[in-house]
Amino acid sequence: MVVLAKSLEDRIDESQKLGLQVIKESEDDRLMTLNVGPQHPGSGHFRFTVKVDGDYIVYADPDPGYVHRGEEKMCEYRNFIQNIPHLERPVIHDSTNITYSYSLAVEELVGIQVPRRGQFIRAIASELNRQVYTLYWLAIYGIFLGHSTMFMWPTGDRELFIDLLEALTGARVTHAFNIPGGVRNDIPNGFKDRCLRQIAYFEKRLKEYEDIFYNNPLLRQRTEGVGILTKEDAIKLGVTGSVLRASGIPYDIRKAEPYDIYNEIDFKVQYMKTGDSFARSYVPFLDMRESCHIMRQLLDKMPESGEVRSKLQPNPKGAPGEAYRRVESGRGALGYYIISDGTPKAYRVKISVGSFRNMLALPYLLVGAKLGDMPSIYWSLNYWPVEADR
Amino acid sequence: MLKELVNPTHFNVLMGKLGDVLVKALDQPLGYAINWGRIWSLWPVHLETACCSVEFGAASGPRYDVERFGIIEAFGSLRQCDLIVVQGTVTRKMAPRLRMVYDQMPEPKYVIAMGACAITGGLYIDSYNVLPGVDGIVPVDVYVPGCPPRPETLIQGCMLLQEKIKRSRIK
Repeated sequence: MVVLAKSLEDRIDESQKLGLQVIKESEDDRLMTLNVGPQHPGSGHFRFTVKVDGDYIVYADPDPGYVHRGEEKMCEYRNFIQNIPHLERPVIHDSTNITYSYSLAVEELVGIQVPRRGQFIRAIASELNRQVYTLYWLAIYGIFLGHSTMFMWPTGDRELFIDLLEALTGARVTHAFNIPGGVRNDIPNGFKDRCLRQIAYFEKRLKEYEDIFYNNPLLRQRTEGVGILTKEDAIKLGVTGSVLRASGIPYDIRKAEPYDIYNEIDFKVQYMKTGDSFARSYVPFLDMRESCHIMRQLLDKMPESGEVRSKLQPNPKGAPGEAYRRVESGRGALGYYIISDGTPKAYRVKISVGSFRNMLALPYLLVGAKLGDMPSIYWSLNYWPVEADR
Repeated sequence: MLKELVNPTHFNVLMGKLGDVLVKALDQPLGYAINWGRIWSLWPVHLETACCSVEFGAASGPRYDVERFGIIEAFGSLRQCDLIVVQGTVTRKMAPRLRMVYDQMPEPKYVIAMGACAITGGLYIDSYNVLPGVDGIVPVDVYVPGCPPRPETLIQGCMLLQEKIKRSRIK
């Protein structure tokens, strides 16, 4: 943290001792307040005010809520199945994961089991969507730091994953694919081969990404040692996902509390120890590489035939009680807490998202940083404003 | 003859006639040229209102590439922009900011309402914090339906707007 040069009283005292004329300059004259967003090339649907002392940020105040659409309230007057389409809108580029934990929680309340093949298809869709999300995030991170190539390459490769998901689910980004009881439909013919070809191509591309972006000396200078989040602070602030893993804590929900068939999959939790902006931007990249590895195993182990969905009654009623389930999304732990009172509609739905918790670290990291480091700190927090506002 | 022309009243009449002829001769080609300039430099303000911004981002990627139509995304200052693409839901908190951005833009300015939420409120029509359509606060030129619209749909909307500008008269 940067200490302000001297307080006002000290400076007046010093001036009087030296017999100088006292210039009344208040703290407000010295500090300049800057508004970032919501109309800003980078901030997205988000505004924060920073106070700068010269080039250094001394105070930062995030102001979320520009896309607050009352998702949780809307869940209370729709039944469990009708909730799916609007619940995936907060993160339309990661829509399979945001409905995944909802489906798990509703399944626990309704008391049904997903068929084994359905679980595999869910996991495949989830991993594909993780790639789509992370590539979009990486593209924006690239254009944030003025690296236009890193906007074009991930956006182009993302379309190939979107093509796969479109073949699987029928929609480009809003799939409504995970539903309580399984998935909506079976995989199409030739999907496995297409998927394997795409993974092989993408792994080659990842090497090129590393060469052009992560080994770029300019990027390293701009991100290494910037906005360091220590291990203790990360735990205290409650950040999740890649931000937590970049601070040296190997914690992944897929490993810590495996859901569906993730306990049969062999993968490593990728983490780094430095906790700076570079680590936070590199961990999602490592996750993408690991995700390719997971997808290969999933496609290999998937049963050849079988049911993909256990049918529910037309208007399913949850047993009175509560359920909390969470999954690892692109941004971290994403949980749903549902209270049911025995009717077809939920009594209360609480969505706990990774974005909001990662955003809470922003004011701590910005204080003391240079204004020029703000973009790399802000977007490395793996934050999606629409999801945080819900 | 010359004296009569230099006479102030006659001179004014002559100049008025000349002006009419000039306007008739230049209005169409000049208007065409100005509209042509406006069509191929539609620069949108980077104001994201909700989740359609993901598809707007995809539209400027290498596959769809709206830059072919003169639309450069993520352009810096709104003082040099002439297009707002309202990307989805407008909440009560965002609405004054949207209007403020619209007021600060120089003329001529155009608005595209992208997505069902920007048109009518869409999926969030019964939410307590969402405006039922953006046309209550800014005048909309083109409506692009979809939830979210595919990038091709957005490009078609932009081309419709270009058609509209082509047919408009210069004031």
